[in-house]
Parts: sequence; C-alpha cells; structure tokens
Amino acid sequence: MPLALIAALPFLGALLPGLMARAGRNTAALVTGAVTALALLGLVLHAPAVIGGQVLHQHIAWVPQIGLNADFFLDGLGFLFALLILGIGLLIVIYARFYLDPSENTGEFFTYLLLFQGAMLGIVLTDNVLMLLVFWELTSLSSFLLIGFWKHLAEGRQGARMALTVTGMGGLSMIAGMLILGHIVGSYDISTILQHAEEIQASPLFLPAMILVLVGAFAKSAQFPFHFWLPHAMAAPTPVSAYLHSATMVKAGLFLMARLWPVFAGRPEWFYVVSTVGLVTMVMAAKIALFKDDLKALLAYSTVSHLGLITFLFGLGTKAGAIAGVFHIINHATFKAALFMTAGIVDHETHTRDAKRLGGLMTLMPITFTIATVAGLSMAGIPPFNGFLSKEMMLEAAAHTGWWGLDWIVPLGATVGALFSVAYALRYVAHVFLGPVRDDYPTQPHDPVPGMWISPAILATLVILIGLFPMTMAGWLVTAAASAVTGAEVHPHIVLWHGITPALWMSVIAIAGGALLLALHAPLNRLWEATPKPHAKAMFDAVIDWAARGARGLTQGLHNGAISRYLAIFSVVVLVAGVWAFFTGAYSPGTRPMTPLEPVPVIAWFALMAATVAVVRYHHNRLLALVLVGIIGLMVSIAFVYLSAPDLALTQISVEVVTVMLLLLALNFLPKDSPRESSAPRKTRDAVIAIASGLGLGGLIYALMTRDFAYPTISDWHMAHSKAEAGGENVVNVIIVDFRGYDTFGEITVLGIAALAIYALTDALLRGPANARLRGWVPDLKRAGDRHPLMLVVATRVMMPIAVLVGAFIYLRGHNEPGGGFVAGLVIAIALLMQYMASGFAWAHLRQRANYQNLIGFGVLLAAATGIGAFFNGRPFLTSDFGHFYLPWHLGEFELATAMGFDAGVFLTVVGAVMLALASLSLIARRAGETVNQTPMSTDPSKAKTPEEKANALDEAAAEPHDDASEEH
Amino acid sequence: MISEDLSLLLPEIVLAVYAMAALMYGVYTGKDRTMPLLTWVTAAVFAALAFWIGITGPGTHTAFNGMFIDDGFSRFVKVTVLLSGAAVLVMAQDYMVRRGLARFEYPVLVALAVVGMMVMVSAGDLMSLYMGLELQSLALYVVASLRRDSAKSTEAGLKYFVLGALSSGILLYGASLTYGFAGTTEFKGILSTIHGGHMSLGLLFGLVFLISGLAFKISAVPFHMWTPDVYEGAPTPVTAFFATAPKVAAMSLIARLLFDAFGTAPADWSQILAVLAVLSMFLGAFGAIGQTDIKRLMAYSSIAHMGYALVGLSSGTQFGVESMLMYMVIYATTNVGVFAFILSMERDGRQITDLASLNNFAAKEPLKALAILILMFSLAGVPPTVGFFAKFYVLRAAIEANMTWLAVLAVISSVIGAYYYLRIVYYMYFGQETEGLDTGTMNIVPWIMLMGTAVIMLVGIVNLFGVEGLAHAAAATLVP
Repeated sequence: MPLALIAALPFLGALLPGLMARAGRNTAALVTGAVTALALLGLVLHAPAVIGGQVLHQHIAWVPQIGLNADFFLDGLGFLFALLILGIGLLIVIYARFYLDPSENTGEFFTYLLLFQGAMLGIVLTDNVLMLLVFWELTSLSSFLLIGFWKHLAEGRQGARMALTVTGMGGLSMIAGMLILGHIVGSYDISTILQHAEEIQASPLFLPAMILVLVGAFAKSAQFPFHFWLPHAMAAPTPVSAYLHSATMVKAGLFLMARLWPVFAGRPEWFYVVSTVGLVTMVMAAKIALFKDDLKALLAYSTVSHLGLITFLFGLGTKAGAIAGVFHIINHATFKAALFMTAGIVDHETHTRDAKRLGGLMTLMPITFTIATVAGLSMAGIPPFNGFLSKEMMLEAAAHTGWWGLDWIVPLGATVGALFSVAYALRYVAHVFLGPVRDDYPTQPHDPVPGMWISPAILATLVILIGLFPMTMAGWLVTAAASAVTGAEVHPHIVLWHGITPALWMSVIAIAGGALLLALHAPLNRLWEATPKPHAKAMFDAVIDWAARGARGLTQGLHNGAISRYLAIFSVVVLVAGVWAFFTGAYSPGTRPMTPLEPVPVIAWFALMAATVAVVRYHHNRLLALVLVGIIGLMVSIAFVYLSAPDLALTQISVEVVTVMLLLLALNFLPKDSPRESSAPRKTRDAVIAIASGLGLGGLIYALMTRDFAYPTISDWHMAHSKAEAGGENVVNVIIVDFRGYDTFGEITVLGIAALAIYALTDALLRGPANARLRGWVPDLKRAGDRHPLMLVVATRVMMPIAVLVGAFIYLRGHNEPGGGFVAGLVIAIALLMQYMASGFAWAHLRQRANYQNLIGFGVLLAAATGIGAFFNGRPFLTSDFGHFYLPWHLGEFELATAMGFDAGVFLTVVGAVMLALASLSLIARRAGETVNQTPMSTDPSKAKTPEEKANALDEAAAEPHDDASEEH
Repeated sequence: MISEDLSLLLPEIVLAVYAMAALMYGVYTGKDRTMPLLTWVTAAVFAALAFWIGITGPGTHTAFNGMFIDDGFSRFVKVTVLLSGAAVLVMAQDYMVRRGLARFEYPVLVALAVVGMMVMVSAGDLMSLYMGLELQSLALYVVASLRRDSAKSTEAGLKYFVLGALSSGILLYGASLTYGFAGTTEFKGILSTIHGGHMSLGLLFGLVFLISGLAFKISAVPFHMWTPDVYEGAPTPVTAFFATAPKVAAMSLIARLLFDAFGTAPADWSQILAVLAVLSMFLGAFGAIGQTDIKRLMAYSSIAHMGYALVGLSSGTQFGVESMLMYMVIYATTNVGVFAFILSMERDGRQITDLASLNNFAAKEPLKALAILILMFSLAGVPPTVGFFAKFYVLRAAIEANMTWLAVLAVISSVIGAYYYLRIVYYMYFGQETEGLDTGTMNIVPWIMLMGTAVIMLVGIVNLFGVEGLAHAAAATLVP
C-alpha cells in the first residue's frame, strides 16, 4: 500500500463515523476499527523491507514552486511509531466502544479520533518539513476537540484550551526552527536535512534552530517548563487519555527529537539542554505523581516523568542512549496505555478515580487487578516486565554520564527519579486494589464486560512477553528504529540479566526506596500538602491574564480615541523617521553659495516669526488670532514681492483679504474665545513636538535650497516658450491659462463645487436642529448701537465702481503683466464682500441680482468652451491661440488671446464661488434674525436722558425684535 | 499617440465613466431606491473588468510618457481589487437595505475608490501615484461616515479624514523632496539618479516621508491609529471594504514605488519596512488580545496582517513581492468570508458585534461555526489552511533574504496572534450558555461568501488554485 494512502486512510475514514452516527455506536466503532486495521495492514506489509534496513520513499509534487512536496518516507523509526499509533489505536477503538455511554455522540468521537490518528501518522511518515508542521498542528487541533469532547465539563474545556495553546504555539516555534534548518541545507525534505548534519552543526544559526525546534518538541511532550498542560488534559474521556498520552500525541515531541537526532546530537548544547530538561522533568513529575490522588492525574504525571526519561536518553547523544530511548518508547506505550485503560475501567465501574475512596478492589475486580498489576510493576521497573529492561538501560547510561564535571549528579537524579517511579507505581496498585474491601464505593464494583478489558489484557500480555523475550518480541523493531535514529547500523543486545552492574545497584536502591516511600506515604502526604507549591495552571492563567491586561493597557494607551494623541504620535514618528534618515544617509554640504543677508528681509522674517508665535499664544481670542493670521499673510505677500514674484504676491494678498473677511463675518456666530482644554504638560509636549518638527522642516528646506537639482529646472523652458507659444509675457499667467490650463480648469471646477457644497451644507443645516438654535440665538456680546458705521457704508459704496474698474484692469493686463482672471475675480469679490460687511447681510441680500450658482456654472462652461475651441484650430484641448490687432484711432497695438476667454471663465467662477460662500453665511445670519436697518442707527443712545436709559437703550438694541422670516428665501 | 495612451487606460476610463453615469442615474431616478440595482450592476462591472483585464495578453506597456504602467503586476493586483470589491459589494447589499443604509452613493463611491486603486497600482510617476491615491482616499473618507446619523460613524470619518490628510501631506512632502533632489517625478528617472546602491540624503528623506504617507494607507504601525476607531465606527459593509481592496492596492503601490523608483537601493528601504513590519505584527497581535468587539478585533488583525505582508516586501526580492501578492490575495479572500459572517451577526434583529455573543454558537449553527473556525485558523496561519501558506510564503522570503531574525519575530508574533483567533473558536465551541446570536439571519449571498471562502481555505491547499503561478509571473514583471 502506498505510504500516502496509509496516511490518508484515517482522514478519508474520518467521514464515515460522522456520517453513520445514526447507525449506532457499534457501526461507528466497527467502521473506525476497520479503517485503522486496513491502515495497519498496509503498514505491516512494508515491515519486511523496513526491518531489512530499507527506506521507502514516495514522491508527490504538491506546490513545488515553494518547495512543497507531499513526500513520504518510511524507515525504522517511522515504522515503530506508525505501528504504535495504529496498533494501540485499534485497541483504543475497541475499548472506547464499550467505555462511552450510548447516549453520547460516538460518531463525532470516532471522527475526531480518526482525524487525530491521521495527523499522527502524517507526522511520522512525511518527508517534508512543512507537511510535518501541517500534521503537527492538526494533532493539536484534533486533540483539542478530543480533550474537550465532554463539553459539559468546564474542566475539560479549560484543559483543552490550555493543551491547544501550549502545543499549538510550540508547533509554531518549531516551524521557525525547521525553516532555519531548511534554509541552511537548502531543502525542506527531512531526509535531505538529515544528511547534512555537519553543515547544520557548522552553521551560526545552529543554536537558534535547535532551541526553536526543542521548544516545539518540549511543549508537545510536556517537558519542563511546559509540562503543566498535560495533567489538565486528563479531563478528556479515558480512551482519549490512554491514546494521547501513551502512544501518540505526547510522543510526537519525542519523535521529533529522535528524528533530528543525527542533526543535533553530539553537540554539547544538545546534551546540556535536552538531557538536563529530561532529567529535571523526570524527577519533578515523578515526585508530584506520588502525591496525586486522582488516578488519572497520577498517571498523567507519571507520563510526564517517563517522557522526561526518554528525553534524557535522547539528550545523551550516545548510541546506547538512543537505543534505550527507542526501547522505552515501546515499553512505555504498552504499559501506560494498559494502565490508563484500567484506570478508566475503575472509574467506569466505581464512578470514582479518587485513590482515597478506593482500595480492596482485588477480589471484586480480579481481571482488572491482574492487568493493572502487570502494567504497574512494569512501570515500577520490576523484573521480569519490559519496563525493567529499559529502565536498567537508562540507569546504565546515567551511571556513565558526567554533568559539567560532576560525575554523581546524573546517576543520583536518575536513581531518585526511578525511586519515585517505583513508589507511585506501587501506590497505584496498592491503594486501589489491595487493602480491605470497603463498603462505601459509589457503586458496587465488578469486572467489566470482556470488550472493555480485552485491550489492556493484550497490552499486559505484551508487557510480559517483551520482558521475557526482549530480542524475539521487540529486538528487531528496536534495531530498525535505533538504526534509523542514529543513522548508522546498531545491533542492540537486550537481555533480562546482564550481571551485577552499577545500574543493577541503582535499581535495587530505587525499588527498596520506593517501597519505603510508599510505606511512609501517609505522613509524607501530609507534609506535601502542608508545603506551598507553585500551581502551574494558576501561573498559566496569571500569565494569560497579565498578557490580556497588558494588551488592554497598551491599546487603551495608544488608542484612547483622542485624535490629538494620534496626531502627536504621527508627528513624533515622522520626526524620528527624519532623524533616522539624517543619521543613516550620506550627508554632503550644499553646493550653492548663500545669498547675502539684508536688513529688510531679516526684519520681515522676525515679524513673521513674532506673528506666528503670537498666533499660538493668543489663539484663544479668535479675533486677535484672525488679525495675527492676517499679518502673517501680509508678510508672506511682502516676501513674494521682495523675491520678485508680483503675481504670487497679488494672488496671495487678495486671497488673504478674502479669507480674513469671510472669517471675520463667520466670527459673528462663534463665541469670542475658544475653549481651553489642554493642560500645561500637554501644551509643553505639543510645543516640543511642534518646534522639533518645524526645525526639521526648515532644515530640509534649507538643504534643498542650497543644492542644485539633479535635472535642470523647468523654469527656463517656460521662460523661453511663454511668449513664443502662448503670446504672453507673464509666465505665471501663461502657465495658469495655457501650459497648465488643464490644471486650472480642474481647479476652478473644484472651487465651484466647494462653494456649492458649502451652500448645500448650510442649507441642510438650516433644515435640521440647528435652525431652532439659530432662531433662539442671542449674541454673547452686546451689539454696538451703530451696527453699520456710516463712514464705512459710504466709503464702500463709493469704492465699489472703482474696485470694479481695478478688477477689469487687472484682468485685461493679466496675460502680459502681473494680474489675471483669478486676482481680478478676487478683487471684485472683495468689493462685494465689503458691501456685506458695511451694510449687513440682509441689506446686501436684497440687492443681490445675480444668481451665484449660475455664475459659477457659466464660468466653468466658458472656460471649457474656450478650451474646446482649440480643437477647431486642430490643436489639443486648451491650447491658446493669439493674434495682434490694431485698434482704430491710433490707440495702439492690442493683443487678443483665446486664453482671455479662459481667464474670464476663471474670473466668473472665482467671483461666484466667493459670493456663494458669503451667501451661505448670510443665510445663517438672516436666520439668526438680522434685519435691514430702517434708520442709520437702530437706536439712538444720544436721545436718552439718564445713564440708566442709555444702558436700557443699548440693551434693547441688542435684543432687537426679530423680523418675520419672510425674507429667508 | 494619445489614443494609444487612452486605450491602455480603457478599463479605468470605462469604470470612471460608469461611476459618473451611475451617479446621474441615481440622482435623476429613484435615488436610494436604485441602490440594490446599482450595487449589483457595479459588482457586475467590476467582475467584467476583472475578466477583461485578466484575459489581456502579457507584456508591459506604458502610457503618457511612463506615467501609467500596464504590466503583469498591475493586472494581477487590479483583478484582485476588482473581484474583492465586487464580493464585498454584493454581500453587503441586503444588510444595507435592512439597516437603512441603502444610499445609492455607496456603490458609486466604491467604484470611484476602485478607479483610484487601479490608477495607484499602475502609477509610474509620483503624480499619477498621488492622483490615484487621493481619488481612492477621498471616496473612502466619505464612505467611512456613510451613516450620517451615527456619532460613531461620523467620528470615524472625521478622524480618518484628518489623519489621512496629514498623511497625504507627509506623502506630498516626501514627493516634493524626492523631486527636489532627483529633479524628476518619474519613477524611472528617480531610479536613474541612484548610484551605487545608496541614495543621497535628500532622496532618503523623500523616501522616508513617502513610505510614512503610504504606511498610513495600509495602517502599518505606527501610522495605524485610525484603524480600530474607523473599523469599529464605520458601517460594517464599509469596514469589510476597508479591510480588503484598499489594503491590497496600497500594499501593491508601496511595492511599485519602492521597486520602480528606489529598486537599486533596497538596503535603504528594506530596513524601514522591516521595522514597520515588526511593529505592526506585534502591536496587532497584542492589541487584539483585549478586544471585545469583533470589528475592532479585525482592525488589529488587519494591522498584524499588513505586518506580515511587509515582511515579504522588506526582503526586497522578486520572491518577496510574490509572497506579498500571495499574502494579500489570501488575506483579502479570508476577510471577505469573515465579514460576510460579521454582517449576519444580530440579536433580536439588531446588529451586534460583541465577541461574547458568539458563545456556544456551534451548538446552534454547526455549519457556520465550522466555516468560521476554518477562516479563523486561516487568519491565524494554522495549517492545513491556505492562511498557513500565506505566512509560509513571507517567512520564506525573509529567510531567503537572510533576514532570519525577521522571520523568527514574525513567527513569535503569529504565535501571540493565534491566541485571539482561537479565542473566537473557543467561544463558539466551548462558550458558556449565554444570550447568543439569532439563528438563520443570513442572506444567501453572504452565506455563499462565507462558505465559499471557507471551502477555498481548505481546498486551496491542494495547489492554491494556481494563483501562485500568476503571482510569480506578476512579481517577475515588477522585479526582473
């Protein structure tokens, strides 16, 4: 049978029990058993070849581009594990059929079981690191489902979660290590990696790779300090515990260590990490096991201890160690599975697993007793059972191992571990089965149906047979597996009696001491319970809790919802990035000389700085802030003038005026002061950030200006072509209306849309709740009695025609001299704005004839039409044409360019946009109750006689009665 | 000449014209009543364009003097963006109608955003880069605050806008610095000014600011601050859209910019990306642990995922780009499924995004719970789901580029990140009996999306549907 099929069979079969759930548990168990048996058969057919030393390969291309192949290979080690997985799996299926209650969903159970079995088979058969990882994580997941199968038990859920967390995360750590190995070797095939041991050991990445892989293996095999999950996984149904913790799940970590043994073993790092962890785990877990009353907890800790033993053996890095390790894997699987099953039987029959409530079951459950005794004595390492053989080999190896120059420490540890092991194994037998028969069992115990004890009985038989005839029963398997582990032919010779050796003495001490410990169990137990112990689960929970709280603190600190904090972080980060760039980049001094410093710009520069600082200082006073912003704008305009950019200066100053005026009008509806929300430290923080960012920016601009561009600038081209191609001497205007006409066209469209959006927003606002607020609006300051100063009214009305004329002039000269449609539009808009300002919104509104929306639309269309006109001339969109005309009456030469039409469009749009924005404000003002003055002054304080009356008159002016809303529309 | 240029842009033009026509149709006919129709038509247009672009022959063409590049890379990304956009549109249609969110502007805005994305990934010049980016961003600002009557949604939109404007400013600043020191805005031109694998200080500044601006768009730490708030505040369909197409496009844009304009000096930018990647992965992983709202959790998840994609990109190799593309495709697909489910979460007819509401969900809806389980495993990168391949791709890219430390950090963070994905599974399967979700509230389209993506996550492991070949070809056109 192809290897891939063997690995795939359980997965395919997993569908069956689930689908046949209705057919009853017999069918489900039968199907599961059949699938397992079929896979086992397929495996056994390969036995002769594998035992003969062959390595079977099967290659299936999967995603070869990224080095992923579904390759499988089978050697002695893989065969050993596959045999355990399938063989014990088959026994477990039989056992589970009788163990599970008919009311339970057996179909689901067997589905999970097969999934798990398939994943385990995958681990031991695959030849690809990534496939290994896939299967590895699958075992974590499917065991999660199995452990948590009894969903009604909170304990089961928590145990399942902890098992998944620890082993799943270990698996991810393992992949990192495996990827590094693959990277060193250049292949992700396990068989290839194994052949490049020297290369890997020579690599500087050896240690990280080894540690990462070991973390994965230790987590899976419950080695210290990851041992804590395993006892909590005991909430699982007993068949699951028996399967996962004897032959499969926890052995996966050992498998990984054995598999990578040729790569890692022999290095001191490997020895010190692996054998130390193994020894510590063995002793510590064995001690805890002795004091556990729950039978399954006792067995769980004993499992941890025995896994530690095997880890220790692999950690030695010697061939003898590897052989002993492989052999103990077999032995442990047989006796531990049997013990778990007997514990399950006891639980099933007496409804308790508490050793304190048991005892005296020997006569009541003779069959179970016999099986448990055989397996228990084997676990204790008492001859002639198989556990004795491998334990002797372990002690033999330990007796010859020094640790950091200390020769006694390893033998001592091994003996103590063995001693505890004897104690708890004997305790399991003694405290459950021996002793007087009690009369307070929860139910009347008796031996179960044969279906339930047949599986452990088979295993117990194996325990005896291997013990008596090790070479016949298991020698071939150990030879094949150990040869595969070490990568060299080994010929182990295992016999029951091998003379009087140090190991034998250690064994004798262990057995005697263990028996003594058991005799003293009661007082020792009291002592144990009195000593404080670190509780691993509590610690795990605490770590998780701590992590959760830390994470919450982190997120709340970073994301408290305040945008000011976000902005601060943003700025700081960019600043840091800038600083980083400065220190990593190659700095070279500027190439351009400095221009001489002159007094005027220096003064202007200081004024600019002072105004900027003042804005920051006094921004709470909105009016003052506005004035200061105006000053800054003015300084910038002056700078443009000084630097010979009259166009920019003109634009800047008119934009500045319009903005300030619009803001001034808007201030009517805002409180005079903005709220003070920041505390002093925060202001300091923000000031530091702002100053640092400003300095950084300034420095960058300085750097930019003192260097030449890599390419020549575009200015020269514009200078050269402006007159010739567009007929204009004012390059800026030519750029706006011709060279970059498309941009301008887009901009005026956007400007128009923005104005429309302001209008639409105001309109929508006035239909909502804001309307009511505005109607009841009371200004926070008393209004001046003279709302519209006469001087201002007169001046603006007189200036209006002049301003219009200026606008026309600026528009007309635009193409050759500073000016243009944009500036002209702003100038006219300023003139109109002044009317609003001087005479009030309501008054101005009454005199408004033009529809601003139409104005904007017309402006955009005019610009577009001019642009399209270029098509008729056979040129691209917006290319201007020009000609020179002579005006009659000797008025001189006059140039006409189509760009003028375009500029007119710009002009109209700008006027329309500004005025529409103003109209929106006006809408709000009129809704707030502004009316047209009937007299020059709304009230005349001079007519009042006494100071009180004067004050009253002013109050009345402030609380002027609202006119009806008829003029709103 | 012009007509050749325009014909290269035809898909973008068609979509833009369609968006405008759809807007007109919506305004002048039934307004919001046309929303279902417009949604479906928009999705159909997306799908048709994806098909059209997909069958376009190979080869690299440029238009408008190199401002617009049509190559395998851009086509790959465009198809991904269009398809994920279409999926998100159709699966949310029913939700939007039921929640009173059926505004006809939504599909139009999404279409406009997608036009922006298509321009972004084809940009061959800082100008077209910015144009595409802003077109996308402006549309996204609006959809983030689509639910105008909800304070949270408007707050989300405002925050996104303000921070987005700041990031755009930084980006522009970087662009102007780059222009100042390179003297050109064309990617090819910028590349030609870099000599000997190292750029001048000025260019480096430009690059740093450009990356900072773009990092905001992919919500890479430390420019991620908007993500949790916007994900939570925006209507769920919008969040779903945010989590998919724009991320793919922005990530690809970064690849485009870095390789086309700064490709000869990968040492300079790969460090920056690696730092962003590490920060994103870890903050995403840690941040999600304490979350109780699934939308907020997905925000942190997306931050972390962007970190992984950046790991691939920071390797600076062709395989790195390939891994990034694969990562983004898989990420977007998974998110479509997850959000299809989140859209259907409700109790007593009201939308609910509380994680605790998932308690014991598996008992009520085993099939859906299984699908979510698969998707969560895929997001966590647990084999044997396709999500594992995504992670594997980027890890391999990092290791092959001798950035083993980065790969190790990525693994560690994914271990931490796995915790919160598994927590969702845990809630569903082993949670306490509490007031859970309503059952049977899922419409057929989201149901198909949920189940479909879950199946893809499992079946995809066979050969990844051949996408890796396409990604390989796409990456090869960007990094020869």
